[in-house]
Amino acid sequence: MEYRSQKIAYWYFVAALPLFVLQVLLGLYLGSSYAFTIPQEIVDVFSFATARAMHTNLLVLWMLLGFMGGAYYIVPEETQSEIYSPVLAYFQLVALLVTGVVALIGFFFGWTQGRPLLEIPRPLDLVVVVGALIFLFNIGMTMLKANRWTVIQGTLLGGLVFLALLYLFGIPFYKNEVIDWYYWWWVIHLWVEGAWELVTGAILAFILMKLTGVDRQVVEKWLYVEIGLFMFTGIAGTGHHYYWIGAPRYWLWIGGIFSALEPLPILLMVIDTMMHVKERKTQIGNPLVWTYAIGCAVFHMIGAGVWGFAHTLPQINYYTHGSQVTVSHGHLAFFGAYALLNLTTFYFAMPKIKGIEVFDDRRGTYGFWTMNVAMMIMGLTFGVAGVLQAYIERVLGMGYMTAQSYMRLWMLVTIIAGVFFLIGLLTTVTDLLTLRPAKQEA
Amino acid sequence: MTKKTAFWIFLLGTLSSAVLFLAATWDTHRQVATLSNVDKLSEQVVAGKRAFEKYNCNDCHTILGFGGYYAPDLTKVVQRIGADGIRYRVKSPELAFANSWRKMPNLNVSDAEIEDLVAFFTWVGEINNNDWPPQDSKKRLSRGEQAMVATVGVSPGAAVFQTKGCMNCHALGGTGGTFGPALDTIGRELSATQIRTYVRDPKSVDPKAMMPAQTGLSDRELEEVAKFLSNLK
Repeated sequence: MEYRSQKIAYWYFVAALPLFVLQVLLGLYLGSSYAFTIPQEIVDVFSFATARAMHTNLLVLWMLLGFMGGAYYIVPEETQSEIYSPVLAYFQLVALLVTGVVALIGFFFGWTQGRPLLEIPRPLDLVVVVGALIFLFNIGMTMLKANRWTVIQGTLLGGLVFLALLYLFGIPFYKNEVIDWYYWWWVIHLWVEGAWELVTGAILAFILMKLTGVDRQVVEKWLYVEIGLFMFTGIAGTGHHYYWIGAPRYWLWIGGIFSALEPLPILLMVIDTMMHVKERKTQIGNPLVWTYAIGCAVFHMIGAGVWGFAHTLPQINYYTHGSQVTVSHGHLAFFGAYALLNLTTFYFAMPKIKGIEVFDDRRGTYGFWTMNVAMMIMGLTFGVAGVLQAYIERVLGMGYMTAQSYMRLWMLVTIIAGVFFLIGLLTTVTDLLTLRPAKQEA
Repeated sequence: MTKKTAFWIFLLGTLSSAVLFLAATWDTHRQVATLSNVDKLSEQVVAGKRAFEKYNCNDCHTILGFGGYYAPDLTKVVQRIGADGIRYRVKSPELAFANSWRKMPNLNVSDAEIEDLVAFFTWVGEINNNDWPPQDSKKRLSRGEQAMVATVGVSPGAAVFQTKGCMNCHALGGTGGTFGPALDTIGRELSATQIRTYVRDPKSVDPKAMMPAQTGLSDRELEEVAKFLSNLK
């Protein structure tokens, strides 16, 4: 750690980790609801819908906290200056956490906007917007005052501003269900296949540059190409969500073509990660951080690239749209692209903040592999369930519950994998919160 | 490639995609009025949408394919189970799903809200959305029917039974829905003619019948499925 205000990041990471654990616990409840019969008395009080709202909002909350923490860590080093106002940064952390907790408790009592992933009620949306403005102000002022612009900084700031702007499209009440979904995707798709990719690209470029010692000019050149391709394929690629909502037919073409190209920038990310690692000018100090960085690029490719491509063409999507195939893709993509990116950031930054040069990574390595294998299995079992559903319900037309009865076994296997994932996650969280220096080998 | 070239790739890539996307967005707004029958988007439909959001229905059910995957898609729910089917399930889910291994919460939705919901679903069901979902599509399922007759070698009536959504509510050999009675021995009670009359308009036989009239079946399909069911003894 070179700058004192980088310490802010530590508390963002510490806040994010328990939320991730809670997200997984709720996931296990959701899985159980598929595999077993939850009695009417319980369903009446704590429905699948409530648990799902919590599961998904926790995901967004912990990941955004991770991104913000990542920004607070990276920006001082990139600008070579302290954060403009650490007080505002801590205030914003508390404000966001309180909003999150109030929202979660609110869901339990039915206080909701009632739109998937955007369940946070409108009054709380305003608090979120204020929090985002404080964050952008703080980061922006730091960069302006330092006036040492780099591509990494620009991409990071651009991504964060884009992210905040898009959130606004999720706030109004739309009378027309078609228009509602049209703009819902401006938040969801343009986040995960636009703004978040910019943030990810910037963070990963920064970490790779620091880890490998590869020249900034080279890293930033590839970053430009990467984000250029992400934007080119991602923006018009939003069309793959407009096939069946009552939008004009040409979206089948726009969505199909652009989203078929979406794996390209991810592939480029994998290639340039590997390239930088090969051409490294430094020693591998903490192997686990390298494992995470490469794991993130590869799993990003599998989850978002391959799985996304698998059902993005209209001819296939007609049968898989809104089935467990989507769930399979969602889990692999979010974990591969964004959970692993955040964990990479945590493993990169937290030892440095604590002043540990080489940390003991035995527990962390177990955690990494347990989570990755378990999530891959979950992706496959969700996927099998999804294909069964698409075939039995959609192709054969045998009815929703008939398909569900055949999928039950696979959801049970998913829960078992989920328990292993939880074990891996608890190991990882414990490890991150109690990092210790590696014992010097004699 | 220089860093400057890379910058231009970024700029042009982003701008070209954004221009195309925004132009298509503008045109979509122009066309949506027709595609979604905005003239029928009444105050009651909007009230139904508000109720749909108030009770967070969308985190278990999908609509237009989006939302939770825990319960059936609601895009064509009116065509599938009828307005009465919706009323009964929302009002008394504990009764409607008593035999089901998956439950629906009773959210104490008021009668007025239920009527609003029915209006909302009726409107959504008529959106011109490229014939999705396939399970409720008349066009696609006749193809599934043909495939079954050709490949699995089932009788045409059995194919109709499996592909026209009968199994959403009825079971055969333990497979299918629990909403209506299992039909394994229905041939003992009803003749083909009786089945035909009942399926076409259940209320004409029993005014209290919950089953919606199957107006979507062609005469030929109705005849085949009645023949198939009357032979189950």
